[in-house]
Parts: sequence; C-alpha cells; structure tokens
Amino acid sequence: MKRVKYKKFIFLCIFILILNVLLAGCAFKDIDKRSFVVGIGIDPAENDNGKYKVTLKIALPIGSIKQATGPSYAYLSHESNKISEAIRNMETRSDKVLEFGHTKFIAISKDLVGKEFQGFMDYFIRRGDVQLVTWVAATSPSAEDILKVQPKTEAPSSIALFNTFDGNGTDSPYIITTHLFELRRDYWNNGIEPVLPLITTNEKQTELITNKSLVIKKDENPLQLNTPETLYYNTLVHHAKGYSYKILGEDLELFLNIQKVKVNYKIHVNSSKAPSITFKVKVVGTVLESSKELDTAKLDDYNKIASKDMKKVTEKLLLKVQKENMDPFGFGLRYRATRLNQKNTFSDWEKVYPTIKFDVHFDVDLQSIGAIK
Amino acid sequence: MGKRTDGEPKPPAYMNELAQKLDSSFDVAQVPLVIKGKEAHLFYLKTVVDSDKLQSIIIKPFFELATITHFEAYLNSLPNKTEIPPTEELLIELTRGFLLVAIQNKFIFLELRKVHTDTVQETLMESTIHGPQFAFSEDLSTNLNIIRQNYHGTSLAMNTYQLNDRSNRMVAILYDEASVNKNVLRIIKKKIRALKVPLIQSSGDLGVFLTRRKYTLFPTTILSERPDRIIYNITGGKVIIMVDGSPQSIIAPVTFFDYMVSMEDNYHTYWVSLFGTLLGYFGLFTCLLLPSIYVVVTSYNPEIMRTELALTVTGSRIGVPYTSFIEVLFMLVFMELLTEASIRLPKAVSATATTVGGLILGTAATEAALASNIMIILVAAVAISTFVIPINELSFSLRISRLLLILFTSLFGLNGLIVGFLFLIMLLTNKESFGEPYFKFFHMPKKDEKKVTNE
Repeated sequence: MKRVKYKKFIFLCIFILILNVLLAGCAFKDIDKRSFVVGIGIDPAENDNGKYKVTLKIALPIGSIKQATGPSYAYLSHESNKISEAIRNMETRSDKVLEFGHTKFIAISKDLVGKEFQGFMDYFIRRGDVQLVTWVAATSPSAEDILKVQPKTEAPSSIALFNTFDGNGTDSPYIITTHLFELRRDYWNNGIEPVLPLITTNEKQTELITNKSLVIKKDENPLQLNTPETLYYNTLVHHAKGYSYKILGEDLELFLNIQKVKVNYKIHVNSSKAPSITFKVKVVGTVLESSKELDTAKLDDYNKIASKDMKKVTEKLLLKVQKENMDPFGFGLRYRATRLNQKNTFSDWEKVYPTIKFDVHFDVDLQSIGAIK
Repeated sequence: MGKRTDGEPKPPAYMNELAQKLDSSFDVAQVPLVIKGKEAHLFYLKTVVDSDKLQSIIIKPFFELATITHFEAYLNSLPNKTEIPPTEELLIELTRGFLLVAIQNKFIFLELRKVHTDTVQETLMESTIHGPQFAFSEDLSTNLNIIRQNYHGTSLAMNTYQLNDRSNRMVAILYDEASVNKNVLRIIKKKIRALKVPLIQSSGDLGVFLTRRKYTLFPTTILSERPDRIIYNITGGKVIIMVDGSPQSIIAPVTFFDYMVSMEDNYHTYWVSLFGTLLGYFGLFTCLLLPSIYVVVTSYNPEIMRTELALTVTGSRIGVPYTSFIEVLFMLVFMELLTEASIRLPKAVSATATTVGGLILGTAATEAALASNIMIILVAAVAISTFVIPINELSFSLRISRLLLILFTSLFGLNGLIVGFLFLIMLLTNKESFGEPYFKFFHMPKKDEKKVTNE
C-alpha cells in the first residue's frame, strides 16, 4: 500500500514538472524582447524642459549578417532634470525593455564635463546593470551628434565606438580610455585628476576623431590637452606606444616607432634643495621616417636629438598642467602614498605643487635607423 | 520415446524418472548402446548436446574398446566429467548440455555442450583505435577463457553461481585475490545470493537489480564489453560480474570519474591522453550545461555575452515564436528522438535516417523560424558532446540531468542553473557504489590515501 502511494507521488511530481514546461521564472525576458542600449549621451538641455538632454543609442539586431550592409541603430532622446526621469520616459516610448547590460559608452558633452558631474554620474554608478567598466568620453560638439556618427568602416553588429576604446580594434597611442570606475575614483581622490578622451567628428559627421583629451577637476573648468600633449600624457602614464612620435631637431625631423617606455619618477620635497620631481624615462624604438638620409654610425646623435626634443615637449606639458594646478599624473597621490600620513600631509603638498621644479631626463635608445641599404 | 519390447535392454530406473520429469520436452533422448555383452545408456537433450562430440567421444569408443570396464575407465578419465549433482540441479545441468551415462547402474556425468554464441565479437560500444579490437562473446566459458588468457596471475579468483530465477543462468564473479576490496566482495556475493527476481537476461538487468534503490538516475556499476577494461579493473582491485549469454560484464564498485576513462587513454603518450581526457570532460560539461546556458544568456542575463554575439543571437531569434526554453526543449526532444531512432533502426537504414532527419529537420526548423540558427549549432554541439563520453551509461543519465537543469534554469535563471548543478553534485556525493563513495575524487596516490585514513 505504501509502495503504491510512493509511486503515485513520483508520478504526480513528474506530471507537475511536465506542466512546468509552460512556465518561466519572473525575471524571464527573451533576448528578442530587449533593446540593447549601447551608448548614452548627455547634453545640456536645448529647451527649458529640464537641465539635461539624454540620448540613447540602441543597436538593432540584424537577421542575416551576411546580407546586411551596415549596422542599424535607433536613437531616443528626452530632456529632463534627472537622468532616471529621462530614461523612465524613454521606456514608455519603446516596445521592448531597455537593456543596459551592454551599455559600454557614456558620452558627455564638453559643456557638462567637470561642473555638473556630480548631478548625474552617481546615477550610472548606482544603476546595477550599467557596468563600471563602461567607457566615459567627453564630446565636442554635442554627445548626441557623436552618438549619431556612423563611420563608414563600421561593420554590421560591431560597434565603432567600442572598437575605438577596447584595444581590440585600433591601437593608437592618441586614444585615452577612461572607465567609469576610474573616472569616479580619480574624481574623488585627492592628488589625482581624471582625464577623459575628447571625441570630435568631421564636418560630414562620418568619422570619430579621438586625439584630444580633457583634464577634469572638481568645480573647475576642464583643461584641454591638444593632440601631442595627449600623446605624451598617454605615453608617460599609460605607457602607450606606437608609430606617431615626431621629433624636431635643429635641421632634422624624425618619426619614431616606440616599442617600449619605462617611466620612473621621484618626488624630492624634504631635502635642503628646492622641491622637485625627477623624471627618468627610458624609451626604446626605431626610426620610421626622416627628413634626410640617416647614418647608422650616428645613431647616438639621433638618440640625443630625440631625447632633447621629447624632454622639451614633456616639460612643456608638465608646466602646463602645473600652471592650472591640475595633476593628471597623480604626483599628489604618489606623495600621499609614500609619506607618513599626517593631518596636513595633503595640504602641505597642495602648497608645494604650484612651485615644484620638474627635472626631466629622457634616455632614447634607438635600435636602428630603419633604412635598407 | 516409443514403446519398448522385452528384447531391448532396460534403461536404469533413475533415467526413467528423469525422463518423466522432462516429459514436456520433445528433445529428450534416451539411447541404449548394446553390443556383445557391453551395455550402456545415454540420457541427454538433443538440442543442447554437440552430436559430433557425442559421436566421437562417447559412441565410437564404446564400440572400439574391448570390455565395458575399459569403456568405464575411459569415460572416467575424460576432462569434461563432473560429479553428479542432486536431481534438481542435474535436471538444470541437463538443459545446459550435459550427458548422463549409465553403465551397470553406475552413472557418469559429462559435459558435451553445443554453444552457438561463443564467437568473439568486435567491439561495438567502446571502440578504440589502438588496443584490442575484440570484445567478449555471449558465452560465459568463452569469456572466462578470454580473461584467463589475458591475466595469468594465480591470484585471479573465479567463482560461479547459479541464479535463483527462472532462467537459472550461470553468473561468474572475478577478482584478484591479492588486491580486491574484501568488503565490496562480501556485499556483492551476499546480494547475488539474496536476489529474488523472476528473470535476469543479461548483465544490464543484473546490474540494475544489484543496486539498492529503485528510483535512481546515475548508474552505480559500469557495463563494459572490453576485455582490456575488465583486466584493468581487476588489477585495480575491483570485482567483475559476468552473466552467461551477455557480452557485457559488470564492474563494481565504481566512482563517477571511472565513467570518464576511455581505454584509449592508456594507449597514448601522456599529452595525447591528457588531451583526450580533457576533451571528454569538456564534452561532459557541454552536453550538460550548454542548453541551460543558452536559456540563461538569451532570457535572463544577455550581458554576459559579447555585445556582437548578443546582437547576433537577437538577430537569429527574430521571428521565433516561442520563448527560449521551449525552443531548447523542442530541439532537444527532436535530437533525442533522432538518437533513439538511430539505436532502434536496422543498421542499414539508421545512418541515412539520422543524417537526412537531422539535416532536414535542422534546416527546415530555421527556415520556418521555429528555432534560431544558434539553436541548431547548439543542439548539434550537445549531440556530439554526448557521444564523446566514454561509457554511454553515463551519457544516458546526463540526457535526463540536462532536462532537469533546463527546468531549474527556466524558472530561476543563472541562479537556478547554479543551484541545479549543485543539486546534481549533492546527488552524486550522496551516492555510494557497494559501500564505496561514488563521487570520490582521487587526488592523491593510494598509498598516501591509506595513510590519511588510518591516522
């Protein structure tokens, strides 16, 4: 008798399981019922409807990749005082759920960078589905324009903005990548200022140009670094390497391909001498192009020329940021990390930094002149 | 048996008694041999006795040898002579192909079996490139012969038992006296003696009856058709059970990881066999988890894919009317049908049927937007990886386990998948095979292991 009951119980269980085939859990949402938001743009509002204009770039799925000619996107914009309010509103305008799991790009108009940051950056940190490894970039002109740029090289179901930043696509030393977590960490940290890449576009809006950057400081206007400065910043901080180092000698122009960069610096504050930072940079590379014929025997001379010019550019960059009292290199952070932490450690540094001397040494080691004889 | 006249020699009374008991069989033969004062009576079943042997071993010498005493001495010296068992057993032995000879009220019992199933077959289930290409036959004594011929140790023990069911089959237990796990051996012998089932036909059902619980998903014995695997396991101290009439032998006790060993691994260099093993485990996880992972990534957490892949998957799902798990179940069920069909169909048709069925079904399902392209790739990958698992008893169990995982996943997403997987692991850890832990992980040599357990 007991056995029969047991059997009945088992069959009941199996029956219920089979009925379950028609059920699903509560977070269940099929992938084709989701719209993938791949980028968010934030601009100052154009009308008086609120403070911000939020633009979402939504990637549309492509049925057959082989037959597709290019990627297709949909854009949604809304103006509001708060980002969340704008996104809520846009959700009512979409037939599918807005999925932020693949949002890997936040574009912020140059006009909003720095001053208004706190107002909206918290939202992205708090929202669990926007990942902290999302790239953040400043844009000029508006973020909406940049999001709407469709480069001709963009292939179906691959997103040009992602390729630019993820290091799998282009690998240029001019491109600075800043993740959301880095931006927030450096923004609130004493002794370092975050740097955002500045994306521009051409007149026809068919290209994304990423070769400038912005240094951001709380409650201040951002400092723009031009193209060579961005290159040197990227080389010194992120050890970027590549083909684009132009060296100007007295009567010689060289283009270097740098393979290896080693940066070392020390902060001297407590010695009897005036406070200074000694920079030691070792660069290994080859010559790619030159304005006149080169001689292998004179490699040392070229080393000297290159060292001298690189030193000049670096010093100029350091002095420029120092003048604005900005610290994208994180000297202050290094100072705090290597000194005993006292009440006024950082305020001491803040007093020293505007007058600190930079002592830059470049050691360029060219492996060859790259010519075929 | 026809009517006897008085002139004919009378068979012994015992034989008549036997003949009465076997009355319903048409093939009972009671043959008197009489010549010049010599008289002997043969009693056997025609269908199971080898008549050529009978002619050359028994009948011919009877007429050639001078006296009946010579003949009796000759019979007593034959190698296939056995002791006379009690009547009940004797009857069973007669049905196996034994011959009872009566000479002057003395009985001699001889084995003259005719077996048509003693041809050794090629390996079917566990074929390898290297290693022995022949499996066992369906005859127990031939199989025991194969084992002996491959394992010449004196410590190899062979015990035979007669099953208590209706078929009265012979069962042999083999082990190495020196290295066998005594506890396991005791349990197995006890279980075989205590078996109370109406009919056992092969090693497969014996293996099932030997396991304790009725509702169980994972097997606790391995069925193997490879002599090398049997020898390998005897050396490792395991107990082998062989059933007459079955080309497979049972290996006990086993751990889960034994199912993942292909004999091929022993015949290759280290890296090659490691690669093979890893492929096997990759197949295990693929066939178990891939359908559920599809449900997770398409319906719960699309952010764990690359963006490009997410867009491609979305694109391939355009127009698919049902949700992901119904799509998965639909395709999996059809794949299982194909697998079953290829097992059941005659060999000549099966290859064509599966190829055509698989191809047409796959293409048509995507064309009709009943399933996505990705789904077809996935189902194919699952099907292939199911076949990679060396012992297919395990892959049968996995086929059901993965449905369980799909159920958990479609209800609770990624968490459900993890919980379902944990559930399977708990199920396996809780199991034991003849007193030995089933999910035992061999992470140290046996010597060190003994040291730890003794401390």
